[in-house]
Amino acid sequence: MRQIALYGKGGIGKSTTAANLSAAFAERGLKVLQIGCDPKHDSTRMLMHGANIPTVLDLVRERGVEPITPHEVVFLGFQDVRCVEAGGPEPGVGCAGRGIIATFQLLEKLEALEGDVVVYDVLGDVVCGGFAMPMREGYAEEVYLVTSGELMSLYAANNICKAIARLARHGRSKCRLGGVICNSANTHPREQELVEEFARRIGSALMGFIPRDRMVQLAELHKQTVFEYAPTSKQAQIYRTLAVSILENGSLTIPIPLETDQLETLALAYI
Amino acid sequence: MEGCTILGALSVTTGVKDALSIVHGPNGCAHHNFSLLHATLATDTDSRFPHIVSTHLSEDDIIFGGEEALERAIREGLERDVGGIFILNTCIVDTIGDDTAAVCRKSWRVPVIYLPTAGFLGGGFSRGMLNALQTLAIHAKPREKVPRAVSLIGEKNLEYEVEENYTEISRLLESLGLHVYLRFVRDITIADLTEISRSGLNILREPELMPLGDLLRQRYGTPFVDRFPRGFIGTLTFLQDVARTLGIPCEDAVAYEMEHQTRVLAKFQDLEGIAVHLGRDTSNSFLREMVDLLGMFERNDGIHLPIPIPEPVGTGGVERLFHHWRRTICASL
Repeated sequence: MRQIALYGKGGIGKSTTAANLSAAFAERGLKVLQIGCDPKHDSTRMLMHGANIPTVLDLVRERGVEPITPHEVVFLGFQDVRCVEAGGPEPGVGCAGRGIIATFQLLEKLEALEGDVVVYDVLGDVVCGGFAMPMREGYAEEVYLVTSGELMSLYAANNICKAIARLARHGRSKCRLGGVICNSANTHPREQELVEEFARRIGSALMGFIPRDRMVQLAELHKQTVFEYAPTSKQAQIYRTLAVSILENGSLTIPIPLETDQLETLALAYI
Repeated sequence: MEGCTILGALSVTTGVKDALSIVHGPNGCAHHNFSLLHATLATDTDSRFPHIVSTHLSEDDIIFGGEEALERAIREGLERDVGGIFILNTCIVDTIGDDTAAVCRKSWRVPVIYLPTAGFLGGGFSRGMLNALQTLAIHAKPREKVPRAVSLIGEKNLEYEVEENYTEISRLLESLGLHVYLRFVRDITIADLTEISRSGLNILREPELMPLGDLLRQRYGTPFVDRFPRGFIGTLTFLQDVARTLGIPCEDAVAYEMEHQTRVLAKFQDLEGIAVHLGRDTSNSFLREMVDLLGMFERNDGIHLPIPIPEPVGTGGVERLFHHWRRTICASL
């Protein structure tokens, strides 16, 4: 079983990337489980044709001590990708990080963490311990950073590197950085070069460049992944290629996070 | 190492007999402190249960926020016949950022008072106690003073002899024509808290409570004496300090107390000339005074005397210590 986590700044396109990657894996005949680890619970929405599936934490809250069965939290989406949303508290109260921990413990208990590929879609700019749960022992062993060429997005990606490097210092942690995915924000002409250089500097590599394409917006307006909406499109082909790169990726590294001023100098050089 | 701030605060809030203390957190935080307070109170003459309940937080409350559980606990508390409610935060609710103060500010039938008591924010038992006393001290308005009224500030509700100490201070104050008006905070009601502004003098249990003494002086214009009396000489000084602060004479009271101390000493003449040992800490001037007064002397192979913690209060406290020492000495001879 491959366990893959996608981390990145909020709004950078993690969920779109995750859903299309899951669809690409499924197209290759793999059994896929996608887990949305963001309190706003919209990671799997396109796989579910726009439906907001009940979240694990909503169910936990309603049920109290009554047992929960796997089919109440795992839903079959496009191409039989199994979808789970962790959910979380209302904005501004409680502890979303603890919610992620509780979700993982429950999924473990339900023996729901199975399949050929598990894709964790994780909010990356929340830096408490709970959001590092997918990187802990027994869960994702490869992390892919989703970023654009925008400085704040690189900054968030760099922070995730710090978390991976920190975890790697514990001897038993197997979590490594798999690579960097550039989801273009069309920030500037040399965006791809910048992200490529960033990847190299942190001791990793660019896994793929996803250009900005209105096909993505069109698909989302139709509440579908690009795979379902336009399976023969150029954009779908890009996700297919990325999926293959990830499946064939043999290079897992412990990243070397950059200092803030290094990051700024780097961004400046490509502007 | 010192106990948690929350226990220090509870040692104060449970001294308000018509109030309920709600520990906002998981069961254990409330139960652990309840047991400790109950065990200590059980040794007092009236063995009562401390009025403590928990908001029973579980993992769900931590994830989704504990404010609902807190409101529920307050509503349940109001079903009892309470004059007020204290809310004490535990570590976990301060970690997840429950807005306890906002919940307390809602319009409740009785005063609902928030105390920031999360242990991980620093400080120990004493800080928790001081903070709680300060929180409870600011609910009064400046009012005219009651003649000859004195308040005791920050009695240690968990110490042995707390009632004996109270009796002793009352006796000493009476010898000056004064009386204890308010025990802040022990065995009083929520309504009594506002009486704190009416005493003409405050007596702090110990100098560590000085910030509270200053606060009460600034808010209500009440002067203070910074400690309970310690030792024979300390007791005479105490009488003089109280009298000087209030501008009243004390000669008769001091003369009477000196005679009383002589009578007490006379009861222990049998201890004269006995070799004793006070342990390694021989720098304690109070203990040295006591040994000298009894005509005992220190020697390394002398009878090992127990050292009282906390130190005895007033002449009466010294007399009890002498009895205690005599028992130790008799058992060793």
